[in-house]
Amino acid sequence: MTVIHEKLVDTNAKMRARDVSVYYGDKKAIDEVSIDISPDYVTAFIGPSGCGKSTFLRCFNRMNDTIPVARVTGTIELEDEDIHGNAMDVVQLRARVGMVFQKPNPFPKSIYENIAYGPKIHGLAEKKPDIDEVVEKSLTRAGLWDEVKDRLDESGTALSGGQQQRLCIARAIAVDPEVILMDEPCSALDPIATAKIEELIDELSGRYAIVIVTHSMQQAARVSQRTAFFHLGKMVEYGPTSDIFTNPIEKRTQDYITGRYG
Amino acid sequence: MSPITLILIAIGLGLAGWLAGRAKAWSFQKSDANVRLVARPTYHAWYVAVWVALPVLAFVALWSFLAPQLVMQTVLASPGAEALPSFGFQRESILSEARAVATGSAQGVFNSDAEALIEPFREAISHYNLIGLVVTVMIAFAGGAYAFLRVKPDFRARTRVERTVMIVLLLASLVAILTTFGIFASLVFETVRFFGMVSPIDFLFGSFWGPDPMSSPEAADGTRYGAIPLFWGTIFIGAIIAMIVAIPLGLMSAIYLTQYANPKLRAWVKPALEILAGVPTVVYGYFAALTVAPAIRDMAVAVGISGASTESALAAGVVMGVMIIPFVSSMADDSIAAVPSAMRDGSLAMGATQSETIRRVLFPAALPGIVAGVMLAVSRAIGETMIVVMAASTAANLTVNPLERMTTVTVQIVKMLTGEGSFDHPATLSAFALGFVLFMVTLALNFIALRVVKRFREAYD
Repeated sequence: MTVIHEKLVDTNAKMRARDVSVYYGDKKAIDEVSIDISPDYVTAFIGPSGCGKSTFLRCFNRMNDTIPVARVTGTIELEDEDIHGNAMDVVQLRARVGMVFQKPNPFPKSIYENIAYGPKIHGLAEKKPDIDEVVEKSLTRAGLWDEVKDRLDESGTALSGGQQQRLCIARAIAVDPEVILMDEPCSALDPIATAKIEELIDELSGRYAIVIVTHSMQQAARVSQRTAFFHLGKMVEYGPTSDIFTNPIEKRTQDYITGRYG
Repeated sequence: MSPITLILIAIGLGLAGWLAGRAKAWSFQKSDANVRLVARPTYHAWYVAVWVALPVLAFVALWSFLAPQLVMQTVLASPGAEALPSFGFQRESILSEARAVATGSAQGVFNSDAEALIEPFREAISHYNLIGLVVTVMIAFAGGAYAFLRVKPDFRARTRVERTVMIVLLLASLVAILTTFGIFASLVFETVRFFGMVSPIDFLFGSFWGPDPMSSPEAADGTRYGAIPLFWGTIFIGAIIAMIVAIPLGLMSAIYLTQYANPKLRAWVKPALEILAGVPTVVYGYFAALTVAPAIRDMAVAVGISGASTESALAAGVVMGVMIIPFVSSMADDSIAAVPSAMRDGSLAMGATQSETIRRVLFPAALPGIVAGVMLAVSRAIGETMIVVMAASTAANLTVNPLERMTTVTVQIVKMLTGEGSFDHPATLSAFALGFVLFMVTLALNFIALRVVKRFREAYD
């Protein structure tokens, strides 16, 4: 059973997951996990490799749909609306719940086109001046504007790894999502680029509900206010980050945090 | 003593050398437990075997070329040869008759002059056979002895054997390359002869094609050798009509198979599509000539186009396009599949639909590979012969009406070379000039396609 620190009853939740399980074929990868995601704080998912934290993250924007053998049970709500329900189209869901991947994956297009992609397909900005504005605003928020403003027509793949990842974050916020899911966004980056991304996450929190999967406990401690610890497909413990790191209730959490396994 | 016998002897001696080499290498280990061989005994064995067999094989190759000439020389020097006619067809036939009887492949002679030459032939053949055998055995023993003496515990037999293997592999790959050069050289040679009779300007820019194989070869009429109608026919059928069919169908099937089809269906449809590439082009030719061409004619007549021919560029082009579909679709399939899935996930996670993802992200990223596939398909199509031979026609016709008869470069090559024309006549030689042009164009297309593919690969690695 999951240990939930009692002071966490969230009334301002953006997304609520209840009893979510994920199966890959016959294998259960996630076992009945419930959690609330709120814009008031950054939520971190930590745990050893293969514990299912990324799989669970991908439930929130239904990216597991792209894996033919994956099956999700339980309910996930976005603003009290079931994301698997008839009223919610997966395309709209993904516009409202953005995602940043482990490895920076800018499209092989210009920097400008990378940002303009989302607004164009969702019809958020049609005219050139409007798109220009979105591009500038998104890049500015992602802290990349000053570095790329003179070379917007260069290929996004020509940027450095850290810049590419910030471009991907800018791309995600260009469609003005409510939630941003980050799947180990710094694991392919060097420490300086990592520090910039962490700073950026800090700035973006509050405006967006951010969930970050990380295998770096220091990173979770630095950027998040809530931490969920996963192990073998189960959420073992969930609570304020400071409590999880200084005063965990479960022995497994304690073991992981002190580096006994994982 | 035929070359085959000599080769068998070489292999037998090589085997003996193999065993001897291994035995010697073993004996080092047996006699002293402290001795460590640098190479394992098998490598010593192979080293000896190679030294026995390879020089012998080289000698046999040389000898099988040299021996018949030496035999002939000896026979011609014999007294019986004085009665021979000094040259020409008769002389050749007498000599070959005598040789046939001497080797036992014929019973008696037809030409009495040959009688006197049988015995000299017999003697010369057995004389040189003996020499061949003795030299073979000597070379084998010399090579074997040299190698055998070098077998020592510290001898690096493995590196020698591996180098030999590498050289053999190199020679094997050179065969294909040298063949290409050979083809090219023979084409160039005949093409130059052709351009000695017909000006290249007339050939490349003339718009009337009607070589007359019956005309006098000395006074070639350059105006009858204008290849523009052929080039146009080739491009119109192979690069335009065929591609109008093949590109959309090939791309759409590739997109369906990589993006939409479930794995079970894909496992079934993809091989089925590739079978299409394995159908002999003659069979496509039947299909084009007997089914598609009459259907197109009937349709044309039905909509009121009179005078539509049963041999139309459209029929040949359409069937050729169908034939090319697997080339386009499998190249497109590969290059779409080679786009990292992170790209696709990134787009889907932005809330793009599957078709938006394909159109705006996957397709542009895969475009270089797709272009390369199309170029390979074009080069395949313009080199295609059977379908056009059967379904288009042999009449050169400079027109843009796809219902007209039209002909291609390849068809004209077939036509010029299968007739009874002499190889001194420009009409026959024009086939080589056409082949040369075709060769250069397809070479250029393949070259560009490979360059494009290479650049594309580098983009993601």
